[in-house]
Amino acid sequence: MATAFKTVEPLEYYRRFLKENCRPDGRELGEFRATTVNIGSITTADGSALVKLGNTTVICGVKAELAAPAVDSANKGYIVPNVELPSLCSTRFRSGPPGEEAQAASQFIADVIENSQIIAKEDLCIADGKLAWVLYCDIICLDYDGNILDASTFALLAALKNVQLPSVTINEETGLSEVNLKQKNPLAIRKHPVATSFAIFDDTLLIVDPTAEEEDLATGTVTVVTDEDDRLCSVHKPGGSPLTGAKLQDCISRAITRHKEVKKLIDKVIKSIKPK
Amino acid sequence: MPLDHRRLHGPEDSQPPELWAARPRDAGGGEEGEESGAAPRDPCALRPLFARAGLLSQAEGSAYVELSGGTKVLCAAWGPREAAEPGGAVGAGRLLCDFRRAPFCARGARPRPGGAAEREAEREAAAALREALEPAVRLSRYPRARLVVSALLLQDGGSALAAAVSAASLALADAGVEMYDLAVGCALCRPPPGDRDASAAGPWLLQPGEAEERGSAARLTVALLPALNQVSAVLGGGRGGEPEGWAAALRLGVEGCQRLYPVLRHCLLRAARRRDGA
Repeated sequence: MATAFKTVEPLEYYRRFLKENCRPDGRELGEFRATTVNIGSITTADGSALVKLGNTTVICGVKAELAAPAVDSANKGYIVPNVELPSLCSTRFRSGPPGEEAQAASQFIADVIENSQIIAKEDLCIADGKLAWVLYCDIICLDYDGNILDASTFALLAALKNVQLPSVTINEETGLSEVNLKQKNPLAIRKHPVATSFAIFDDTLLIVDPTAEEEDLATGTVTVVTDEDDRLCSVHKPGGSPLTGAKLQDCISRAITRHKEVKKLIDKVIKSIKPK
Repeated sequence: MPLDHRRLHGPEDSQPPELWAARPRDAGGGEEGEESGAAPRDPCALRPLFARAGLLSQAEGSAYVELSGGTKVLCAAWGPREAAEPGGAVGAGRLLCDFRRAPFCARGARPRPGGAAEREAEREAAAALREALEPAVRLSRYPRARLVVSALLLQDGGSALAAAVSAASLALADAGVEMYDLAVGCALCRPPPGDRDASAAGPWLLQPGEAEERGSAARLTVALLPALNQVSAVLGGGRGGEPEGWAAALRLGVEGCQRLYPVLRHCLLRAARRRDGA
């Protein structure tokens, strides 16, 4: 009976739950799904992380390559993120080149990297104008159940913390680079940006960490990215219903609380794999 | 090369650091000596395989297969759906396969996603996957419908296509599609002739690792329907020598598939029990 009502009138079905201040999967309006992280599972990549946010599963693999820096920024390396939503993660995506949502997510991740200065590109430069590291961060969604942006940012952060780059020196006489694969150094992660997404219902209610169904029924979404100094890195609000300033402030403060939890989780995972 | 506007780009050209890796010349021929002098592995040894079905929430059926060399394949299956072409010929259903390699799956250079070579290789692998799975599925039970199978290779540690075949059949079975049997895949490779004996190539090895596959002279992938004892697909190539050698390799592959079959059945049973218990 309930499932029939859910199919015919999904929005009404949802509103009944929201009136009681809870959601169909039993969570409160401000509660996040269970988050798990697994680091370093892909050994062919230089760094990898698998993040599960409830059912949403995202894997990020980082591969480092060498290239000449761009002419206008001779002392900077490159970080190239790419989010892929393959057809296996959900029926809404077709196989083939990246669709709109994947492109928007890739651009969002690129903005987060740029605004938060998670890695200073100058750190990736080995020799000015001659050689720099390129970090290709490929984020693939394995299971799409909403809140892709949070999971992708988290996976990216965990994978970058896991990256070990071989040491590169430039031989003075020959001018060629020499790579020592045996000696590896971790990346210098300056900031730890964490994204928190909200869905807006009926122009008034804010729900944290929406699932795919909730995202479809929502009238708008907001994503707030904060770093560990409680500073705002980016706010992403692609259209949707308008938000008052007070509500936005509420979102930001909740994002700051979420940041602490996520940071604790990452630190715990990194510490657990350190002794090798 | 035309610029792909849908993806973010880094520099036009980049090389993997392994190209400049310092080779230990004085350590007695370092890696090459180690490979040929290492204890030759048992050519019929099957490495441990981990399989698990029913792990994705958005797909009707899903399976994950991991080989001990590091190969990790995730596969999702859906079906049956209405066929896309209107007024299509009345006949058996169609099986649509898709095989994708993650950009970080291979050791060495990262292939550019969306490049022509990548798409060609993926199309070939998808066709091979379809060839291996079609005989196993009862397509006559789904007229005018299409079944979709989507495989993603997360890490390539050798025998990738064989693992994908096994994962795809597990995913289809997990989705509740009617099948005659599971299609089990097994890969073989033959190392090139050693330096001492230039005429005879090495023996065929079952389930090669990544290093063995890269240096091999010939490769073969066999897909078998074990309960019916019928081979559904054979894909191979290289310089393998006389036909008897290939026939022996095929027999070895078939035997390998028969030995893997109980593992996959057990995995399906556990998934069914978990689903009923939940």
